[in-house]
Amino acid sequence: MPRERPIYSDFFYDPLTEDVEELLARFQQSDSIRYEYFSAAWRQMGFSDVFIGIVSMAEQKRFSRVTLATAVKYFLPPYSYQIRVGGLYLMFGLYNTQLAVPPVQIRFALKDWDIIQKFLKDSVNSGHQDVVYIYHKLVAAKAIHFTAMPHFLSFLKLRKRKQKTVCAGFIGRTMAVQELFSADILEEVSNIESQYEKLKENTVAVRCEASMTQRDFTARLKDCMAEFLTWQQKTFSQAEADNKGNGGGGDDDDEEEEEDEDEEERDYKASSSRARLISSIKQKSYSNFQEAPKARRHRQPQKVKVESSSSGSEQHYESGRKRKPASLRARTWKSLGVTKDESRMQVWLLSAPEQNERVPVKRIKQTPPYKE
Amino acid sequence: MAASKNANTNIPDYEYTDVNTDIFHIDSFRTEWLNRLHPGDFSYQPGDQDSSDALFAEEMGISADTMAELKTVCSLDSLRCHPEDQPPDTDVVPPDPTLKTLIQRKKKQDYRDTRKISKNRHDLYADELERLTFGKKSETLDDMVPEGEILLNVNVYYPAIFEKFTHVRPHITVLMMGSHTLAELRDAICCVSDLQVCGEFSNTPDMAPDFISKDHFKSAFFYFEGVFYNDMRYPECQDTSITTIEWAKDRNFPTYTQAKMEDTRFVDLKIKVGFPYLYCHQGDCEHLVIITDVRLTHKDDCLDKKLYPLLTHKHRVSTQKCAVCHVYIVRWVTTNDRFAPSNPCLFCDKCFRMLHYDTEGNKLGEFQAFPYVDRGAFN
Ligand SMILES: [Zn+2]
Ligand SMILES: [Zn+2]
Repeated sequence: MPRERPIYSDFFYDPLTEDVEELLARFQQSDSIRYEYFSAAWRQMGFSDVFIGIVSMAEQKRFSRVTLATAVKYFLPPYSYQIRVGGLYLMFGLYNTQLAVPPVQIRFALKDWDIIQKFLKDSVNSGHQDVVYIYHKLVAAKAIHFTAMPHFLSFLKLRKRKQKTVCAGFIGRTMAVQELFSADILEEVSNIESQYEKLKENTVAVRCEASMTQRDFTARLKDCMAEFLTWQQKTFSQAEADNKGNGGGGDDDDEEEEEDEDEEERDYKASSSRARLISSIKQKSYSNFQEAPKARRHRQPQKVKVESSSSGSEQHYESGRKRKPASLRARTWKSLGVTKDESRMQVWLLSAPEQNERVPVKRIKQTPPYKE
Repeated sequence: MAASKNANTNIPDYEYTDVNTDIFHIDSFRTEWLNRLHPGDFSYQPGDQDSSDALFAEEMGISADTMAELKTVCSLDSLRCHPEDQPPDTDVVPPDPTLKTLIQRKKKQDYRDTRKISKNRHDLYADELERLTFGKKSETLDDMVPEGEILLNVNVYYPAIFEKFTHVRPHITVLMMGSHTLAELRDAICCVSDLQVCGEFSNTPDMAPDFISKDHFKSAFFYFEGVFYNDMRYPECQDTSITTIEWAKDRNFPTYTQAKMEDTRFVDLKIKVGFPYLYCHQGDCEHLVIITDVRLTHKDDCLDKKLYPLLTHKHRVSTQKCAVCHVYIVRWVTTNDRFAPSNPCLFCDKCFRMLHYDTEGNKLGEFQAFPYVDRGAFN
């Protein structure tokens, strides 16, 4: 009798990946990296139950290994900082609730070590105490195996691997062009360019010979980016509208934040309200990351002063805290509903390639199982 | 992947994503890790949350109050999904699961219940192996696996002797320390062909010896990355790799070199993790050898040197049952046997004799008979 591969012996397990993405999506919706938002989402989904119902310890171990590998996947690039924090919290949650005895360890590969240390350093510098503390707790609990590679590798013994799909909404990339547009890079490039042309003009010998540069490079780059942003805006304007409506009680906060950023944004009028929305979402999350721990320390918002942080983050402190429980709850409930689901998911797809359209489909399908 | 490949060749990276790594030197890899870690990170001391918390607060410059709040917010209670006095039954999937994982698991469980499929025997065995050695400390300090030692997970695959009867390729998994030699791995590999009797005994079934041991053919080699590691521990050992090396030389292959397996420790090796290598013994019994994992030791590992090499997985091959009675373990293989329903065919000793010999023990009809050692006999 041909023997089947034992269950959970692959690196990842699709239903679990879906559960994890749902959890991280809820965390992402909170616009925060505070641990309490994560743990709230965890409890709401009853996430520790993923370990229930496995009788065999060997199977339990294999499953633990899969869960931890999944968490580590989101802890590492290419995901956005917020999702990576979610991955770290997930490692903590899964490690501590697994039912395997002795517990299965989290695998850190040598090649990822520098990336992890960078993440920690950034978190320390930004004062994200809960992020750093959760990491320290894992280290103190001896929860980590220091390995050669993230997974066990056995060559021929592989099953056909499915194409890895990366959840587009979890990647910071959606703002890349926007960022480039708003950064002073274009100006810088144009300065360098004119400087270069000047030097060239002054050097008779090369004036006619050298023709590697394009004089209108900056302008053309700008056009390209503007074109992309217009496309992005057109394609996802629906998502934007929905998203704004979705904000519910948080609408005021959004405006507040947009005002704060107006100064920075005045430069690029070409970018639409859509771009500002994206930008504000991003700013919001980062500001929340920084303020809360300070609040723990001082208990007084006005004392909040972060040396290293990005500009304008202090002002967001209050809005970050204010919107907390109601908004999360409201949004999460909404996400459980059928109708709102679709619009919520489009937020993920800000600049996702077409093939990722399977994501909303998948999410919508999620409702029926509740009564199964 | 290729683009982000690390310049330092002792930091393993994928050669083929998710399949195998580039070549690296194991001891240098170990050094790279040790250079990056604090001794406490890989020490066997149990983690002490309180002193670690204190240290953390100091390093981060956090006040006692803030630390207390952090502790509360990040406590393990924050992960509790059921009231403390109503813990769930962890053996059974709850009736109306919402997590995708549980929905799938419930389907499987319901199916299993209807089919009354019992627990995988192999899993049971693995549980048992694990339980015996977890966190096991040695009696004396000398026998303690040192902190910062390397552990390698080595899979040794069994050749299919009779393809017809083999649907899966079974293997054993051995946990080796970096300080072990290849000869120690060799001694840990138990292969039926070391016990296999050669010869046809249909005319004199009583003459078939029970088993013969390794002693007749001591020569063996491992092959890793262009080097043949020969077992030269015994005077009668031959360098069985020389044939291959000469052959390759004649054909303009890259040059292979030789070394002694008893002088080569794992930390001395340059290997690719996940890549198939070779163990060859008995002249022609070839096993794939794959190092599936290399890592630093951990406090929960078996820490008693004497228990290594540590067998952590043994494919529990279902023993081949006699084609006639379906009860007893196979002892004979016959070929060109007109009494048999298949060719070759497997028989237990009793059925084999009843079917192929008269009461006086005279051979009936034409066939060849070979003694057979079932892999399952080692379970
Ligand atoms: Zn063999
Ligand atoms: Zn029989």
